[in-house]
Amino acid sequence: MTPSGSLLHAGGLYKAYGATPALDGAEFSIHPGEVVAVLGPSGSGKSTLLHCLAGIIQPDRGTVRYGDHDLTAMTDAERSALRRGDFGFVFQFGQLVPELTCLENVALPMRLAGTARKAAEAHAREWLERLEVDPVAGRRPGEVSGGQGQRVAVARALATRPRVIFADEPTGALDSLNGERVMGLLTEAARATRAAVVLVTHETRVAAYSDREVVVRDGKVREAVTTG
Amino acid sequence: MSDPGPPVPARARGWCRDLAMGIRFAASGGREGWTRTALTAVGVALGVAVLLIGASVPTLMNAWHGREKARENLGQMHEPPRGDTTVRYASADTVFHGEPIRGRLVRPDGAHPPVPPGMDRLPGPGEMRVSPALRELLAEPGSALLRQRLPYKIVGVIGDAGLQGPAELTYVAGSTALRPPAGYRIDHFGKGWTPRPLTPQGTLLVIMTCVALLTPVTVFLGTSARFGHDRRERRLAALRLLGSDIATTRRIAAGEALFGSALGLAGGAVLFLAARQTAGWITLWDINVFPADVRPGALPAALIAVLVPAVSVLVTLFAQRGVTVDPLGVVHRRPAPRRRFWWRLLPPVLGAALLLPLLRQRVWEDSAANTTMLAAGSMLLLFGVTALLPWLVEAVVGRLRGGPVPWQLAIRRLQASGGSATRAVGGITVAVAGAIAIHMLFTGMQFGFTQAYARSGALPRIGYTTQAESWQQTERALAAVRATPGATDAQGVIEATLDTLPTSDSFLNLAIGSCAELRRVATLGSCRDGDVFVTQGRDRAARPGATLDLNPPFAPEDRPTPHPWTLPADARQVPLRHLGDGPDDHRYEILATPSTVDVRRLAMGDMALRIGFDRSVPDAVERIRTSMAKVTPTLYESSAVDNPHDRAYSGIRNGLFAAAAVTLLLIGAGLIISTVEQLHERRRVLSSLHAFGVRRSGLGWSVLWQTAVPVLLGLVLAVGCGLLLGTLLLRMINAEVRVDWPVVAGMAGIGGGVILFVTALSLPPLWRMMRPEGLRTE
Repeated sequence: MTPSGSLLHAGGLYKAYGATPALDGAEFSIHPGEVVAVLGPSGSGKSTLLHCLAGIIQPDRGTVRYGDHDLTAMTDAERSALRRGDFGFVFQFGQLVPELTCLENVALPMRLAGTARKAAEAHAREWLERLEVDPVAGRRPGEVSGGQGQRVAVARALATRPRVIFADEPTGALDSLNGERVMGLLTEAARATRAAVVLVTHETRVAAYSDREVVVRDGKVREAVTTG
Repeated sequence: MSDPGPPVPARARGWCRDLAMGIRFAASGGREGWTRTALTAVGVALGVAVLLIGASVPTLMNAWHGREKARENLGQMHEPPRGDTTVRYASADTVFHGEPIRGRLVRPDGAHPPVPPGMDRLPGPGEMRVSPALRELLAEPGSALLRQRLPYKIVGVIGDAGLQGPAELTYVAGSTALRPPAGYRIDHFGKGWTPRPLTPQGTLLVIMTCVALLTPVTVFLGTSARFGHDRRERRLAALRLLGSDIATTRRIAAGEALFGSALGLAGGAVLFLAARQTAGWITLWDINVFPADVRPGALPAALIAVLVPAVSVLVTLFAQRGVTVDPLGVVHRRPAPRRRFWWRLLPPVLGAALLLPLLRQRVWEDSAANTTMLAAGSMLLLFGVTALLPWLVEAVVGRLRGGPVPWQLAIRRLQASGGSATRAVGGITVAVAGAIAIHMLFTGMQFGFTQAYARSGALPRIGYTTQAESWQQTERALAAVRATPGATDAQGVIEATLDTLPTSDSFLNLAIGSCAELRRVATLGSCRDGDVFVTQGRDRAARPGATLDLNPPFAPEDRPTPHPWTLPADARQVPLRHLGDGPDDHRYEILATPSTVDVRRLAMGDMALRIGFDRSVPDAVERIRTSMAKVTPTLYESSAVDNPHDRAYSGIRNGLFAAAAVTLLLIGAGLIISTVEQLHERRRVLSSLHAFGVRRSGLGWSVLWQTAVPVLLGLVLAVGCGLLLGTLLLRMINAEVRVDWPVVAGMAGIGGGVILFVTALSLPPLWRMMRPEGLRTE
């Protein structure tokens, strides 16, 4: 079980690449509906922490608990199933499948979870409308602007109604106007669905959208200022 | 006024500098650079080797014929006078278990006879010199009957100069029994012979074969030239930032390709030298050659050395034509133009239009126009399918909707960028369509021969002829064969051709034999030695009392001394016994008993034996051959016992199948390159898909579908085109249209294998690229 009230909790995480530890005893927890910004300089281990929390990689030591599940004890297939059903992802760029239309990209996680195509696409269309990108539904990612593409990615992350959204530098490739629009829509939609958001960023401007900030330094996670 | 640009020497220097820079990049590009260079080199090496082998065909055929002519001197019209330097020389060919054996008997007239190439002196009486292959065959345990047939003592081996190829079975034996009329008197070995250059049509066919073989290699080359292009484009972008223009970057890219081509050229030469070592093991249409005889002419070799690297560079530049690299690393790719159907249909339709008129001819006429139409039509039809394939893939894939996620991912990827896969598969269509058509042609021809041999071989019979010495010789031969186990029946007569006197060019066929033998030919009624018969319903020139010539001219310009013979006035008319419509039927006008004609006066008198045998007796035919050789080794055998075409065609068909299989694997290698390249470009998407929880198997399936769809469409097109071309070719030669379904199935099977092979080898890089490292942006 996770500590009282937390949805996702990591304790004593250690992960090294070669001789260099990226995480060295990192602790982290997040509650339902909470937006936590993970800050830190380049190479501090922010992305490694996110990948461990999402079950994308396995830490060398430590535990990651999600509800009743211990991610570190699960098989790759079990973690994949968990990611398909309970987690959503937004990355800096390159996450949309270039050959699929924006609509099909948003429908993709639902189809992978077994939803029929028509139902998945109908639901995806709703999310595109909510994120104000329904006019580009039939276009391919290469045919839309960076801001539109990132909103499509947010729609895809939210469409499965995940309980946790992992966003790794979601505005890194956008100008400030588009970045703020994306962040506004992402946090608004997440709060509306009571989804927790783990937001990795190095921009304090983006971190301002979070409820709480933590800083990763020397492989350890430290609490920063509570903005709430 | 327009800017004339830099002077030519400066421009040339600039070209050389850019090419040299490209070569330096290729040589110092790390593992990826070397991989690309190696792939280009492999493609070029294969192309060079194939072309060098193709360019060696005329030379090796000349060498093969030249070797035969250098050692031969049979069949001259006018014999030299007997002397110290003459030798009697006769053919004593035989067959053992389907393998033809060239045999020659010699009997020197004096102490200084000529010696054929490959030996220092002629074998003495009762001795023989054999080829290494025959020596091995004679030493085998199952060759006892052959050893009895060639009862000479082996005193040496014939050197390479006296052989056509290392696998040739041949011997030269000294014989005291050799005497006229058998053989010829000669005073030298070797016949005058001028090698003929290949006819334009023959050249066209060789070119067509080379082009057909080279297409897959070119496709592979094109694919390998694109390998690692993202990194190359980044490098070229860096050069653009430093001030290089687009043309310079293209020349640098060409320089990289040139380096690979130069290595490939050297590799191709090595591959060719290695491949020609296998020449001695291969026998096609009874042609087997020494490796040293497989050498291209100087001009074709020089052209290959220049043109193949040039083609490789052109392919690279062609691949770059739609790409513009900006100084900031932005790569603009020209959008793929919409494929138009009508012009793609033009080549196959033109090809069919050239071939269809050839079908109207009742019999194939080997004229220059026909050969050109056939070659051009076949080529257009074959290459037309490569033009049709991209349209077909686009048309089919464009209409595919829905399906599970892996299928959808694959189809969308093909819709968005199916060009490279289609290009690679284009090579499959040419190779498979060509192989199926040629297979069909050979199967049809082989079936025709098999049927003909089955018909004539249905009657277990073997025939022998040789120049007749006397009727007693025929009687001895008949007695010998009748005592042979397995021989069920033996007939024998002396056959001759006569002319009327004065000459009327009305040739008459004469059969001389005992009453017993003549009764097998015609219904005689009463008969005794001294009787002559004319047959009913034959030529009216065979008129009792007519004077005939036993020494008619061989050719119109010949004027030999006539040997008059009067057809007795009391010759009775008798009906022939007909054996059917086959070539074995009796066609004599005159039948004579032995005492009525002096055999020595006959110019064209042949002992002709027809021998029946029992198939159930093991080695009955070989026993008969051995018995006959003991009587007269210079007998000429005619039989339908062994179908030599069967072996030749089977060899060719197996070779073709193997070549097509290798081609498909080569295309598979090209497909792997393009698939891995595509995966590499998409590693970030793959990583994020993995983050979403997409299963590895799902993406594996998408790779499988992505390979399978174009390959299957290519195979369908290739099978259709191959069957069409094969049908047209068979109709042209009036052969029964038969489809070699096992071959078609085999090709389809190999195609399926290629799909699995490409998918299996693409999975490890796929999984590697799904790792979370691809998500890192810092």
